[in-house]
Amino acid sequence: MSRAKDEAARVPDPRVPSGRQMPEENRLTPPVWPGGRTAAPGTDFSVIGRRNRKLEGLAKVTGRAVFADDLSLPRMLHGKLLRSIHAHARIRSIDPSAALAMPGVHAVITGRDLPAWFGIIPWTEDEQALCEEKARYVGDAIAAVAADTELAAEEALRLIRVEYEVLPAVTSIDEALEHPEWKVNEKAREGNISKHVHLEFGDVDARIADSDEVIEGEYWYEGSTHAPIEPHCAIADFDATGFLTLYSSTQVAHYLHRDLARVLGLPTQRVRVIQPVVGGAFGGKSEPFSLEFCAARLSMDLGRPVKILYTREEVFYAHRGRHPMRMRYRTGIRRDGTLTGVDAKIHIDGGAYSSFGLVTTYYSGQLLSAPYKMEAYRFDSTRVFTNKPCCGPKRGHGSVQPRFAFECQIDKLAEAVGLDPIEVRRRNFIGENSRTVNGMRVTSNGFLECLEQVERASAWKERFRRMPYGRGVGVAGSMYISGTNYCIYPNEMPQSGVQLKLDRSGRATVFCGASDIGQGVESVLAYIVAEELGLTLGDIRVVAADTDLTPVDLGSYSSRETFMVGNACLDAARRLRGLVVGTLAEAWGCAPAEVKLAGGIASTARDAERERMSVKEAFQRTEARHGTLGSVGWYQTPRLGGDYRGGTIGASPAYSFTAHVAEVDCDPETGFIQVKKIWVAHDCGRALNPVAVEGQMEGSAYMGFAEALFEEQVFKPATAAHGAGLHHGPSLLDYRIPTSLDTPELESLIVESVDPEGPYGAKEAGEGPLHPSVPAIANAIYDALGIRCDRLPFSPPHVLRLLRAGDARAVWQKARGQRSGHVPAGARG
Amino acid sequence: MLTLPAFEWVRPRTLEEALEFLAAHAGQCLIVAGGTDAVPNLKHRLHDPAYVVHLSGIRELAFVRESADGLELGPLVTLTALSGDARVRRDYPSLARAASLVASPQIRNMGTLGGNLCLDTRCTYYNQTFFWREALGFCLKKEGTVCHVVPQGRRCVAAHSSDVAPVLISLGASVEIARSGGRRSISLDEFFVGDGIHNNVLEPGEMIVRVSVPARARGLRVGYQKLRPRAAIDFPMLSVAFTARVDGARCEEARLVVSALGAKPRVIGGVDALVKGQPLDEALAESLAQVAYRQCRPLTNVAYDDDWRHEMVPVFVRRAVRDAIAGGVS
Amino acid sequence: MNPPAQVVCRFQVNGDVRECAVAPNTTLLEALRYGLGLTGSKQGCDKGDCGACTVVMDGAPVLACITLALACEGRLITTVEGLAHGATPHPLQDAFDVCGGAQCGFCTPGVLMSAWALLEHNPSPTRAEIALALSGNLCRCTGYTKIFEAVELAATRRSVATADGKS
Repeated sequence: MSRAKDEAARVPDPRVPSGRQMPEENRLTPPVWPGGRTAAPGTDFSVIGRRNRKLEGLAKVTGRAVFADDLSLPRMLHGKLLRSIHAHARIRSIDPSAALAMPGVHAVITGRDLPAWFGIIPWTEDEQALCEEKARYVGDAIAAVAADTELAAEEALRLIRVEYEVLPAVTSIDEALEHPEWKVNEKAREGNISKHVHLEFGDVDARIADSDEVIEGEYWYEGSTHAPIEPHCAIADFDATGFLTLYSSTQVAHYLHRDLARVLGLPTQRVRVIQPVVGGAFGGKSEPFSLEFCAARLSMDLGRPVKILYTREEVFYAHRGRHPMRMRYRTGIRRDGTLTGVDAKIHIDGGAYSSFGLVTTYYSGQLLSAPYKMEAYRFDSTRVFTNKPCCGPKRGHGSVQPRFAFECQIDKLAEAVGLDPIEVRRRNFIGENSRTVNGMRVTSNGFLECLEQVERASAWKERFRRMPYGRGVGVAGSMYISGTNYCIYPNEMPQSGVQLKLDRSGRATVFCGASDIGQGVESVLAYIVAEELGLTLGDIRVVAADTDLTPVDLGSYSSRETFMVGNACLDAARRLRGLVVGTLAEAWGCAPAEVKLAGGIASTARDAERERMSVKEAFQRTEARHGTLGSVGWYQTPRLGGDYRGGTIGASPAYSFTAHVAEVDCDPETGFIQVKKIWVAHDCGRALNPVAVEGQMEGSAYMGFAEALFEEQVFKPATAAHGAGLHHGPSLLDYRIPTSLDTPELESLIVESVDPEGPYGAKEAGEGPLHPSVPAIANAIYDALGIRCDRLPFSPPHVLRLLRAGDARAVWQKARGQRSGHVPAGARG
Repeated sequence: MLTLPAFEWVRPRTLEEALEFLAAHAGQCLIVAGGTDAVPNLKHRLHDPAYVVHLSGIRELAFVRESADGLELGPLVTLTALSGDARVRRDYPSLARAASLVASPQIRNMGTLGGNLCLDTRCTYYNQTFFWREALGFCLKKEGTVCHVVPQGRRCVAAHSSDVAPVLISLGASVEIARSGGRRSISLDEFFVGDGIHNNVLEPGEMIVRVSVPARARGLRVGYQKLRPRAAIDFPMLSVAFTARVDGARCEEARLVVSALGAKPRVIGGVDALVKGQPLDEALAESLAQVAYRQCRPLTNVAYDDDWRHEMVPVFVRRAVRDAIAGGVS
Repeated sequence: MNPPAQVVCRFQVNGDVRECAVAPNTTLLEALRYGLGLTGSKQGCDKGDCGACTVVMDGAPVLACITLALACEGRLITTVEGLAHGATPHPLQDAFDVCGGAQCGFCTPGVLMSAWALLEHNPSPTRAEIALALSGNLCRCTGYTKIFEAVELAATRRSVATADGKS
């Protein structure tokens, strides 16, 4: 592991004093509105906070919503990708002649036709749309066919002759480290190291030495994948003017736009990316994929539209899902429950390419430093390349794994000092308006209320360590970012832009690059405009994620949409609101603040008879007074983060906080774990629509539960006699996502801390609530059975092995004795 | 999407028409009823028939009839119909139970009794796409020469994965097989053979036309238990069917069938001797569990910890016997 | 092998008699989506594992992605497009919208068809019965909670409406 040391040596001084921050700079300072961003435009909210419908809801439930594969263009051809059958192989030659000779086949392209390197992070561009020299995992794309039908394209693939030189495959973290000479990815500066980060804040060893109890644990988080129900699909249409239109099931139209133009050698102004309705993404559609480049190239070559739709199997190869992580934690605590030092060593299995891996490696440490105070913190994370599909950002990118390990550590530490685990979390609460040990600014923070809510709702005090053998409850907490300060490519432009158009018809149209992937960001835009301009939701149209029509928003990742798009939209809407109420105030001779816009009516309280008109008429008066009505709004993050290399990664304008209690019912005879219920309390700042927030909370808790008990994106080892690196079962039969019968009851408890910088105080809700599911279930299993599940998934064979490995019953009994003999200091009332 | 290969299509209106066509094109046909097994397998290129003979037009084969001899079931009865039939639920509750546990509601609406009995054997190295199998290097059952479950194995060990078959065997059921110009009956136990490539005695041109459950199976104490990770959709990774005839307080005879292990459901040996004259109780459940544990050895054909599945054999046998002790299955 | 000849197949879909050319290897899902323009039914898993393609045939939910189109001649098929009365959504669809039962909306058409068939046979199902009826429809967004609530709301509204109708 000399490699890791060298990398560490390049970091000038990894020990940085905590509390320092980036220099303040005014960049695109947002406007200041009376009452602040958190206030209602009038006296109270009329749209925000209500259980409203979603904008696109009826289209989705009536089957009218148009997803990418629902589109069909005249003369459209169908493309398919040829994929490598070897985990690691040099491509000696590709002979497409037999395929090209097949009737109905129009073109075959290979790596030579798309030689440009790309990658979502500009520092690590290590992918090609089709591998030119070498395939790096089973399923890596090496050629593409366009044909009249999917069947013809598929049959043509089998006629392409590829000569491979098979190379040794690397399928595990240890192999990657032990065999730097089996280089998976030539862009790696050394061996198979994708990224190494070593950061230390405070004197960790001294703080740990100064603890009453120290717990060391090794944890394994198995890889998992997003498995959106919609497979990836793209349709490219290159026209006679040299203009490329690409429809794609992406969640980052803007980044796709940039990379498409570059890889295809087109000016960006000649490329348009349109995101149709997307059928789930969860991070799995947050970077460009082979199908988009290949459809585009084939369309450019043939002058016809080309559609490529991935099979479910290909979705597993596209992957970019949860990284497998091996994590060693050493954590200290004092008798009073104070956490002292945290020391983490993390190895990350990245698969064949970088993807967001640079960020993942930082996130594996940077996002752990709240909601608890830490006196000192060190993490050393290494991401390695292996011959497997590339991992990337899955819901809770990079931080779900360490959160699992750390929240289990806290459970063990609490037991070691004889304190209730909720009480330990409470005592270490970092507080509002605080700063983390690694220099992250925390503003609003509703974590204590989250803990209280789950404690009360789950009847924790009556249940914890008090239920019969086999049944138990567990708790965990977490925090997550509301978007990231770290911009994927360096620029000083806004992260999010909105254009708003009002016209004399009484309609408002919002144009925004935001990407709705089911979380409802288009509806968020509409709610804000409705609130500010007094419109009903039906009078608002949202045009989103079309790079020709909409100003840039960076897309749906890192839980940024509500916060950033919402802020941009709020400013655009308030600008126009100012014109409208100003016009009416002038006409009625009142103060602008006296004009009320709500429910389609403009009015004042002082004379509701005469000072009253429809909002439509108000728009007409305003248009007559000010000319054509339009406005823009944008959001740019303030400078945040620690003043050290990587200090902006993990910096966010606001953090959400979550606590879960999980209840399990275990079968000690088989090892089956049934999660009966999860109580989810989440501080989302303010729920712009509680239905949507609850939906995100429940969906997140479900997805964490699924990873805890069922899901494994795993591959045959390099030592396998056949099929090294082959996915164990790339289908929704073998990759088991929970059914309606498996999923626990989920109870959402919304906590509103009202963030000073969020739109009306809102923060994220889409990813944070996933984190505590896994450790809460692990801790509940300990309460139920007396075993510590430190490896995922908690499958029946694994649980049964743990039960047999030691005297679980005695451990269980001992934990109970301790509980009954101890009254936690925090158990007030 | 995953495409279907090209094939010709035949949809006979009568059984005779079907049998004639099968006889005339022996070895070139794939019989499809509900299609829930055959169609995914076609998409995986596991079969390459010239003709798909679709039985959906033969209404005469979708019957449930009571007779003095017992219950007669047509092969085209859907699994939903089977599990919901009042006579089946009353007289053969473990059969209704097994049918109700197959896959998902939609698949039970489509899938048929005959199809479930003739389900192609399953293996983690076989039920995959052509691409996947090519990357593996294919296997003994299809296009290849090696077995990935039993290295150096010469015989395919793909697993029998029907839910209803072990129960029907435990009930002593038989099947009637027809071909153009002839019929034969055989006990369901003998219908299956221990060859994963083709695990039943059907010859090209033959098909099941009737399943008979004997009248004497009414009143048996029964149990069925299925092991699967999820509560729906999944195939069994272990299934246990148990029946016992109890006279007064003592067992007269019993049958214990364990499946989803190899190509043929395993009828556990020595059970009659063990149970005869014994009370049907927890002690007997334990003895049966131990006998089954010794006789069963799960393999890696099912991609789930085989040692654990072995450990689950006695657990699930005990549970199936407990069903019977409790008076049936719910 | 050359592509086998297509034949014109007649479907009874959503109350209409529709014809389209299909080959023996055309699935019902392909015929609906690409032949008849009924793109509401979705393809998620390719082979009967996810339920996104669920349509109701002769009263029972089935998987269109593993049903051969030619086998559907003469059968009564209802897809998600067939639930609404003209422009008015079916009460079940409305309940899904109100409750947030659809997030990304991709599994929704299939879920709706299973739920609709359930309510046709069992107008006031328990939550356990709803979960069982939907156990072949995988949803990746909602954790199923809001879907259950939507089906319950639809059932409640229907029973209220029925009671009102009688009184």
